Amino acid sequence: MTAFIARSLIEKLVTLFFVTVVSFLIVHLAPGEPAQVDPLNPKFTPEMVERFRQAFHLDRPLPVQYALFYRDLFTGRSVSWKDHRPVLEKIAERFRNSLPLFVVGTLLTWTLAFPVGIRAAVGRGGAFDRGTAFLAYLLISIPGFFFAYLLILAVVSAFSVPVLGMETFGFEGAPLLNRANDRIWHLLLPSVLGAGSGIAVLSRYVRSQMLEVAHQDFIRTARAKGLPEETVLYKHALRNALLPFITMFGLTLPGLVGGSVIIESIFSWPGLGRMAYEAILARDYPVILTLNFIAAVLVLLGTLLSDLLYAAADPRIRLA
Amino acid sequence: MGTRRLLLGLPLAIGAVLLQSVLWVPTYEEQARGNPARLEEFIQASIGDAAVLNPILSTDSASAEIEQLVFEGLLDRDERLALRGRLAESWTVREEAYFHVAAEPGEAGAQAERIAALLHGLRARPAGLSPPVRAALENIRGIEIEPARDETRTIADSSGREVRLRIAAPPRIRLLLERVDPDLFAHLETLLGEGVFLRFRPEAHLETDPPLAPEEKARLARAALPPVEHNPVIEFRLRPGLTFHDGRPVTAEDVRFTWQAVVDPRNLSPRASDFEPVKEVRVPDPLTAVVVYKRLHAPALASWTLGLLPRHRLDAEALRREALAAGKDPASFGIRQSRFNREPVGCGPFVFREWKSDRFIRLERFENYFEGPPEYRRFSYRILPDLLTQEMEFYAGTIDAYAVQPHQVARLSRDPRFQHFSGTSFAYTYIGYNLRRPPFDDPRVRRALGLAVPVERIIEAVLYGQAERTSGPFPLQTPFYNRDVASLPYDPAAARRLLEEAGWRPGPDGVLEKGGRGLRFTLITNSGNDIRKSILTIVQDAWKRIGVAVQTDLVEWSVFIRERIHRLDFDAVVLGWSMGVEPDLHPIWHSSQTGPNQLNFVGYRHPEADALITRIREEYDPERQAALCRRLHARIAEDQPVTFLYAGKWTAVLDRRIVIRERDAHGDIRHRPIEPTPTGNYRFHFNRWVKLPARPVFAAP
Repeated sequence: MTAFIARSLIEKLVTLFFVTVVSFLIVHLAPGEPAQVDPLNPKFTPEMVERFRQAFHLDRPLPVQYALFYRDLFTGRSVSWKDHRPVLEKIAERFRNSLPLFVVGTLLTWTLAFPVGIRAAVGRGGAFDRGTAFLAYLLISIPGFFFAYLLILAVVSAFSVPVLGMETFGFEGAPLLNRANDRIWHLLLPSVLGAGSGIAVLSRYVRSQMLEVAHQDFIRTARAKGLPEETVLYKHALRNALLPFITMFGLTLPGLVGGSVIIESIFSWPGLGRMAYEAILARDYPVILTLNFIAAVLVLLGTLLSDLLYAAADPRIRLA
Repeated sequence: MGTRRLLLGLPLAIGAVLLQSVLWVPTYEEQARGNPARLEEFIQASIGDAAVLNPILSTDSASAEIEQLVFEGLLDRDERLALRGRLAESWTVREEAYFHVAAEPGEAGAQAERIAALLHGLRARPAGLSPPVRAALENIRGIEIEPARDETRTIADSSGREVRLRIAAPPRIRLLLERVDPDLFAHLETLLGEGVFLRFRPEAHLETDPPLAPEEKARLARAALPPVEHNPVIEFRLRPGLTFHDGRPVTAEDVRFTWQAVVDPRNLSPRASDFEPVKEVRVPDPLTAVVVYKRLHAPALASWTLGLLPRHRLDAEALRREALAAGKDPASFGIRQSRFNREPVGCGPFVFREWKSDRFIRLERFENYFEGPPEYRRFSYRILPDLLTQEMEFYAGTIDAYAVQPHQVARLSRDPRFQHFSGTSFAYTYIGYNLRRPPFDDPRVRRALGLAVPVERIIEAVLYGQAERTSGPFPLQTPFYNRDVASLPYDPAAARRLLEEAGWRPGPDGVLEKGGRGLRFTLITNSGNDIRKSILTIVQDAWKRIGVAVQTDLVEWSVFIRERIHRLDFDAVVLGWSMGVEPDLHPIWHSSQTGPNQLNFVGYRHPEADALITRIREEYDPERQAALCRRLHARIAEDQPVTFLYAGKWTAVLDRRIVIRERDAHGDIRHRPIEPTPTGNYRFHFNRWVKLPARPVFAAP
């Protein structure tokens, strides 16, 4: 077990190194200048453009830039070109904003999807199965932004309450309980939107996995033993259908730094996705590369985590 | 059983908590109409967040909007875009002019005395002189002789090598002028002899270590000892009793500090080129700032609209303290690193209070503002990145202003609750031709292409009528725009005749030909701009009708700039320029700016235009400057180096309850509706705006 973890960590470090090199190259080979340099502004003399490039080390060879960037990142000195704030501080601030959305969305997805999928599998071809299939495909195929607008308009015209942002603007003076609930309210729509499409996809997987397991011998045995239907489904069948979801669960981890640009923009949610998007448009390389690095680390951690969970869930798998 | 209950119970519990929270949220009604405090706050929505709240560093429009309220410049623009005093109560512009006299070694002092005496004499008895020369002499307030001086300095030569210069400057004559006179030396030449200033040989007064090639030495000598020198001087008189938001007085030292901060190379200020011509800022007393320029540079005055920085927050000492307190290295800690950029302190009408990234920026009115505090108590800047939800919040009354789209204006203009404004923007769109390439080197071809573009149709079909035709390089609402120059009419028949005159005849495939070469080229623009994309299509079709075969291409913005524009690799482009109020066209139209990476990428060269552009830069008299600009406009329109299409219009919508509050000498209050200034600025009186509880009714004027 320890040997497996150690070997896996080394492998992942090597992968991480290649990821950093490739992402660094992609970011730097893409055309465009940092937004601080406006090529069509008469006030930007060529000397000034050169001075900006020097300040950002853009005049140095790429390997040197690579080394300088990761040196700054690991010593915590990396600053955003946009406002000269430390990159990690900016990311931490946005991470705190994105985290509640992620947690609520993930919790809703990874709980509700199972009963829905199982019920659909059990009553295959029935009204519930067909209804949820219709809903799931509807949610998957409607573009997220369109659905978000519909939802916002419906809620606003029904209740006439604000839904944008993380809290009601100008509500700082209210009592703590009101403010806490105000924050919770603002979580509702964006997290439900995120969870909606998550449940739609995941419940379809659950359904097909359950169908595969449902006709196997041990299920019949369990039923023959006279176990209650619920125990058969949720204990015997589900455990055996669970393996693919472990991989999927491991891959939700990078979602921590992902966030949806579209949902965050529509809901004016100051999350990580929006910051990353704006950083890309402004060619704010330190922010882009740091986020990319964190995402890569999370992906690798996610795969490691699912490897370990596999061993825990399936006694046939031995890590060595 | 357990698992199932958990999988169903947990989301239901979460859902219940989420849903019950709606009961605690204030409704729009409670926030907007039911909330008296809402009337005292102006909430502006913005798509993007500010980057740095420091007027010498920021380049984005969101930061500029906030800086406008928090900071104040020495000057700003009045209703008619003329400069008016803000922190400066008054200002005067005069000149100190210098010239060297050619003389034998050791004779310079005596020769200077003789010339000074000659000028004194001529000034006393100007009979027989032409009126302009007489006026130039009358403008001289004093004639002095600057004594000889020795100086050594170390500079880097053109190859980057260190060179020590020993300058033995001979005495020179200093003229104190009441007004700036760009023609002074031309007039003096008529009195002192043709070419008199060129006879002075600066290289005779310079020694270098190591010795340099004669041309290199002559170049350095001319720079160190120019034969003639204009030093315009602006003297600002500050209003007494002004303070920054932290209570510290505003003094001329802050003026000097702001200049130093802008030109300090470590700060990488994008405004540095505006202040590069400043030679020094003298502070004879705390309320007087004397700015001396190295050369004639008329746009200089307007550069003092820049917000003033408080020296006590940002000078070397303050930065060192801040760096140490934050545990950072003071050596690498500059203004760009300072917390100031997120918690600015200025002396404008609003005080900075709070900034939550990508959420809001909050300001409060400055009770000690020199014109009296604004009527609104608070100003909030909400970041709402989505245009649709901005409109929704506007309807709900939780924001007062947002970037309204043309199609939304049509909807809102019928609603009696709102008032709306519209005006011409300072930007124009054009088709630029690469004048280095045939056939665009022939002005008849350019004019013919322009005649064949249905601009009115573009404005109607693509811009919903939200644009105005333009015929030249200046913004329409400035006095620099020449209203006598008509824009090209849409006349394809005339276009065809003109092309025929230029020797283009239809070929077998209908495309015009000349000397075996078809009239074919590529028209490009950047991708991501739907308006320009539509223009491309319309123009391609229109040109096809007169026998011009055009291919079109859309190129991603940064590739477009770097590979096509900067490398001058294009036939024709659709692009726009966003102009300031200042009429300095040097970077965009002067023939010295036609190289790669420069902004005169169309390659326009005309000696008369060059002379006018240079002269406009040197003309300090607003009337004469405007007249020169109108001549330049006519010149450029005559040559048609580009086809000027249109200047876009902006639109704005406000609640009708927002009005201007006026107080007369007795303190009586009167309200009047908001009206844009003659140049279209509806927010000019923003500090006097107030939101009334009910919609006011005004008597018809």
